Amino acid sequence: MSDHQVTKFTLLVTGNPASHQSASNAYQFCSAALKAGHKVSGVFFYLDGVLTASNLISPATDEVNLPDLWANLAKEYQFPLEVCVSASLRRGIVNQQEAEQLALSNYNLKSPFVLSGLGQLAELSASCDRLVQF
Amino acid sequence: MEKKIGIVNRRAPHGTTHAREALDLSLALSAFNESLSLFFMGDGVYQLLAKHQADVILQKDFQPMLQMLELYDVEQIYVCQRSLSVRNISVEQLVIKTTLLSTDEINLHLAKQDQLMSF
Repeated sequence: MSDHQVTKFTLLVTGNPASHQSASNAYQFCSAALKAGHKVSGVFFYLDGVLTASNLISPATDEVNLPDLWANLAKEYQFPLEVCVSASLRRGIVNQQEAEQLALSNYNLKSPFVLSGLGQLAELSASCDRLVQF
Repeated sequence: MEKKIGIVNRRAPHGTTHAREALDLSLALSAFNESLSLFFMGDGVYQLLAKHQADVILQKDFQPMLQMLELYDVEQIYVCQRSLSVRNISVEQLVIKTTLLSTDEINLHLAKQDQLMSF
């Protein structure tokens, strides 16, 4: 990779992981970019993309579990998985703190996904060379 | 130098949440970025058409939030003239002040952006 320029990417994922190919494409792009030696500032999940952060997603054993793939990739390459909090709460993705504040009986945010605001997307957009939306 | 960010709105205001969440994003980004441009094209121009009755279909009427763009100093709001004319919509029917662009002009403005987000 030393003779190639390293690009720092931010990914914006808006596709539903259960029903939209773009969610899988985002993972494949991210994985390929990292393996090619590029960097990822972070991945921001918005719209139906936030559903990727649920730890209750349980596909059949012969199907791909996207949340697991993202969690493993993020741990291996140490980049953040940011999930828009307002889009999440609307869709039933909740962390422990929100569950307590809203008096909900459960929470389901998968580790290492974190709830964050749209300002975080602004920061990720400012700090990358390229932003790619899926 | 600050990046030029363009937010492209191509969908009708209701039916999916794209329009509403794109507006949320536009308002949030405007606090961090002064070079924000909004584009309305295709069915996206319906987002600007006055007098939605969103409550009838159990949706939130987010159209008043469009007025906040001016308060947040988002002034580069571009509308595709062709998209308006094929839908028989006139500028007077739009709820905010916009700049009308031809297809070629829209392409030029889109090419000038460093980042595009499309909804």
